[in-house]
Amino acid sequence: MMKTYSVAKAASKGIVMGKAFLVEPLDLTADSRSIKDSEKEMEWLKFQSAVKEAVDALRILAKDSDIFAAHLDVAEDTVLHDSVELKINSENKNAQLALEETVAEIVTMFESLDDEYLRERAADIKDVGKRIMCGLKGIKTNPFEGVTEDVIVVAEDLAPSDTANMDFRYIKGFITEAGGVTSHVAIMARSLEIPAFVGVSDFRKNVTENDYIILDAVGKEILVNPDEETKATYRKKAEAYRAIKAELETMNNLPATTTDGRTVELFANVGSIVDVDNAVARGAEGIGLFRSEFLYMENTKFPTEQEQFDAYKKAVETMKHPVIIRTLDIGGDKALSYYQFDAEENPFLGWRAIRISLDLKDVFKTQLKAILRASAYGDVRIMYPMIISVDEFLAANEILKECKEELRRDNIPFNDSIQTGIMIETPAAVMCAEDLAKVVDFFSIGTNDLTQYVLAVDRGNQKIARLYNSFHPAVLRAIRTVIQAGHKYDKMVGMCGEFASDEKAVPILLGMGLNEFSMTASEIAATRYQIRHLSYERCQALAEEICKKSTIAEVREILENMEKANSVAVE
Amino acid sequence: MVSKKVMVTNKTGLHARPASNLVTFCKKYNSKISLSNGEKTVSAASIIHVLTLGVKQGTQLEVIAEGEDEATAVEEIVAFIENLDE
Repeated sequence: MMKTYSVAKAASKGIVMGKAFLVEPLDLTADSRSIKDSEKEMEWLKFQSAVKEAVDALRILAKDSDIFAAHLDVAEDTVLHDSVELKINSENKNAQLALEETVAEIVTMFESLDDEYLRERAADIKDVGKRIMCGLKGIKTNPFEGVTEDVIVVAEDLAPSDTANMDFRYIKGFITEAGGVTSHVAIMARSLEIPAFVGVSDFRKNVTENDYIILDAVGKEILVNPDEETKATYRKKAEAYRAIKAELETMNNLPATTTDGRTVELFANVGSIVDVDNAVARGAEGIGLFRSEFLYMENTKFPTEQEQFDAYKKAVETMKHPVIIRTLDIGGDKALSYYQFDAEENPFLGWRAIRISLDLKDVFKTQLKAILRASAYGDVRIMYPMIISVDEFLAANEILKECKEELRRDNIPFNDSIQTGIMIETPAAVMCAEDLAKVVDFFSIGTNDLTQYVLAVDRGNQKIARLYNSFHPAVLRAIRTVIQAGHKYDKMVGMCGEFASDEKAVPILLGMGLNEFSMTASEIAATRYQIRHLSYERCQALAEEICKKSTIAEVREILENMEKANSVAVE
Repeated sequence: MVSKKVMVTNKTGLHARPASNLVTFCKKYNSKISLSNGEKTVSAASIIHVLTLGVKQGTQLEVIAEGEDEATAVEEIVAFIENLDE
């Protein structure tokens, strides 16, 4: 009878099916018997021969894998050997027990370290210990030998040494009971593009060797013993999923170019380092808004220069394309647990963003220096938030200059010609856009705040929520003014508000000449698709027409008519 | 005994490959080589020990050698650390 299990989270997406292949946990518990003095030499020889076996196997695997190169180092390590030898000779322990204890001690030592990278290495040491233990116990280390039909592996946990033994012509997917979506096995599954669920507790009791499994890591279900009809349905689903994935992937590498040849940039907005990985995976061509606040908000003190530098450097090294870092944007609705803000009548018109940075100069300098240091590793750009005047921009850049001089004095490398730009969020910045365009390197329009300030509508107030609308002629004309001002002085103009991925707004923005669209990474594929089906010339005419309209209703009407016309054109 | 301090400047510090390369490099000397981060002193012959020092970019490290080729060893190991580039 068919049974369905739903799973909360997929570690690696896809739809696959095959016979259940249960990996029985190996009995790797050490023999606990004490040895006589006369047996010591024999036990030490057994250990050495098990090590040699492990080293020989690892040497082959290490040729094209950094993970196994690290395992090889561990297997050959003197600390490991010395400790086992000591336990055999002075404590009369057999080789298995000596190994088990030694591995446990080293693992504890690594796990207690204040370094995520090193804590992860504990898993490598366990895996090497397991390999040597198999040698000592005479267990074959490859449970997957002889698999010649499609299978779904069901295991308590899987280690790199397990996946190294797998023949992926037949092994179609994994289900493990241990691990989270960031665990070793989950990362491996994603890099091998093998659909997988990890952390499905107690799942093994639901299946036996002869069961058939459909692993749907898209719909997040496991089906055990489906009927033929269900199998056929899922085969079709799998086919459809592969087709969509293939299409989006080919699109990921294509530029966002309109049918008549205008190319714009599609960037991502990020609020964490994980977001940067995701942005890369989703085809972002850069980071248009790196919300540096998370470094401050997820902290118990102002983050140090080193902490910030590590994060910025990681971001630019992961992205390998422009990363626009917005300097600290707190105040308004964003507070810090470790800093007392005075209560304000109008926090959104109060002490926030660049105003705070210019007042708390030390905090600002720490951030600017961290950004400058990261600029030695890739295209990092600085963006100041909430600017209302040329003076503010110049004051911020003056502090940046001081930071550069200090770094230069300390011989710390940075990009001296780092670009500095501003967010356009205030009506003042719109009115002075031409003056600002003369001095900045780029503009990025923050539509969420700009709409709130232009319309004088609090975006958090439910009572007036209906008045908050970025399609208001005032907002659209403000955006156009900014783009025109930027272009007059040959400056790139981007947008990093939600408006940039609004299906209805995209044609208008494109027509106004926006150069860079920055959005949540998950919106990029759809926006790329949309832009690739639009004509720049037609969008220009549309933008022109829309900016002449005096009401939101008229703007809407045009957009709806265009949509109808387009849906015909696309077909 | 000879010792000398050196600043680790490569990006990843003594993680993964740089640590592994350093251990291999230190093995060619007859002297007993140790590394200290100021808090802990460990044998440079063990990758496990070297990793547990948690050496990052900017860590000040002391290279200590004891044995017949101690002077050359310290000089060459310091130069090796200075030239790590990963």
